[in-house]
Amino acid sequence: MAVQSDVMEAAGPYDRAKALSAFKLGDLTFYWITRISAISVLLILGGIILSLIVGAWPAMKEYGFAFLWTQRWAPSADPPVLGALGPIYGTLITSVIAMLIAIPVGIGIAVFLTELCPQVLRRPIGIAIELLAGIPSIIYGMWGFFVLGPFLANTFQPFMIRIFEGVPVLGAVFAGPPSYLSLFNAALILAIMVLPFITAISVDVFKTVPPVLKEAAYGMGCTTWEVVRSVVIPYTRVGVIGGVMLALGRALGETMAVTFIIGNSFRISSSIFAPGTTISAAIASEFAESDGLHQSGLILLGLLLFVLTFFVLAGARLMLMRLEKKAGK
Amino acid sequence: MTELSVSTTAAGHVPQVPLPEAPPKVTVRNLNFYYGEHHALKNINLTLGTNRVTAFIGPSGCGKSTLLRIFNRMYDLYPGQRAVGQLMLDQTNILDPKLDLNLLRARVGMVFQKPTPFPMTIYENIAFGIRLYEKISKSEMDDRVEKALRGGALWNEVKDKLNASGLSLSGGQQQRLCIARTVAVRPEVILFDEPCSALDPISTAKVEELIQELSEDYTIAIVTHNMQQAARVSDKTAFMYLGELIEFDDTNKIFTSPSDRRTQDYITGRFG
Repeated sequence: MAVQSDVMEAAGPYDRAKALSAFKLGDLTFYWITRISAISVLLILGGIILSLIVGAWPAMKEYGFAFLWTQRWAPSADPPVLGALGPIYGTLITSVIAMLIAIPVGIGIAVFLTELCPQVLRRPIGIAIELLAGIPSIIYGMWGFFVLGPFLANTFQPFMIRIFEGVPVLGAVFAGPPSYLSLFNAALILAIMVLPFITAISVDVFKTVPPVLKEAAYGMGCTTWEVVRSVVIPYTRVGVIGGVMLALGRALGETMAVTFIIGNSFRISSSIFAPGTTISAAIASEFAESDGLHQSGLILLGLLLFVLTFFVLAGARLMLMRLEKKAGK
Repeated sequence: MTELSVSTTAAGHVPQVPLPEAPPKVTVRNLNFYYGEHHALKNINLTLGTNRVTAFIGPSGCGKSTLLRIFNRMYDLYPGQRAVGQLMLDQTNILDPKLDLNLLRARVGMVFQKPTPFPMTIYENIAFGIRLYEKISKSEMDDRVEKALRGGALWNEVKDKLNASGLSLSGGQQQRLCIARTVAVRPEVILFDEPCSALDPISTAKVEELIQELSEDYTIAIVTHNMQQAARVSDKTAFMYLGELIEFDDTNKIFTSPSDRRTQDYITGRFG
């Protein structure tokens, strides 16, 4: 202390007002830098939407809303016939199946890691899951093509057909000739890809549950399952749904792996073992060779994906709000 | 049940004439407890009398909360913690590794230092515990919830907002909700781990009053840092120090003529 004040005196009287005015400029600069950063997000978002709309305009004018429910995709016809129903269907169905698999498994892993796992196993499993997130998507695509595809076509699909033969709806869902490339293959790969998101975020939010709250539930005589279901998950609901939405966003937009294994067929089949396509897979596989109306149609597909993702996220927000109302907040 | 008034507790409650010796509900014999290598409780011997309030006092780290957490085997949640000795709840050996913990915790309820309402509605906070053990109709459940909330001296304050979140209540109300929730499953023993340390004086008075009322039907153990509170609510008091039970006697005696020097020093505020 004494040393410091000596130094101060040596430098002359400390002019607080002068120092403050210097800070003021710094503050103002800082304020504008942060503000411009924040605004730039809006500008970029707006720019992307605008350029998509401009690019998609010819196709929108040509096909109108019929684009949404036309199944035929014939870009080389004259004039080209373009309909987005196949890709939209494929995108939704693969994402839904992927989430149906990934949500219970992902949350299950998170529960195991936070509530049940012996301390020694915790780190290895946690690291393995992080590594899963680090694998490039093209590797998933190749694995799906060379390993998962043959297994599904040769073993899993015949098995499902045998079980569900003659069952009215499910029979059709699993029917069809075996194919390495299928919606189900893509959905499985997507499930594995989004699993780390759901698990990592769930683990993080599960750790935020106060130990005393869990003790209170255990103290009532709850089993681990009851504690997880009635205390841990309700307490962390918002965070878990956030993780699921992030995963869903990834699943809807994932391109590379899906393009590899989905088969790029625009025809809608009742069977999940049939080839299909998704919006992003369709764009990725055709964009390089497209021009004119065809290219515009692909951009319109991109715009649709944008809108679809937006509605999914908006729907999630709505669901959260309703849940919170139900919980009485 | 009548509404609690603050004035009755402000006067304090020190049982002038000790209640007659009660039959033991919980019996502790030569109990030792270890956190890994650390020997946290050393040879504890005492009994909790049926329908009596037993207070545990002592400086921080003396092991009183640790002891409380053995009564419902809460320590089981954490690896490396173990208890050795004998601990009986009536005829049940609490330390039996094969004991069904869920059923034990139905018999031995616990109220914590901080209010811990579950993230659900007030109604559900109570019904949740009941549903773990009983399948009853909606109307029966309504009755039980009302009864529990009356038992927790909270009914009049929440009867119009049973569907509000338990988290929307004030701290004192939350703590009474937790007491009501504990009472709702009809335990035999209720453990209070510093139940008032996060509450304001008025809420504290209400909770203390409630503990007194509950002692008519339940065997109660309460850990507290507040010696006036121990004097007000308890029939027996145990003074613990450095993992040992120094003195265990009628509350009156502990606070008027303790037999151990360390007890004397602690209650007169010379250390702790």
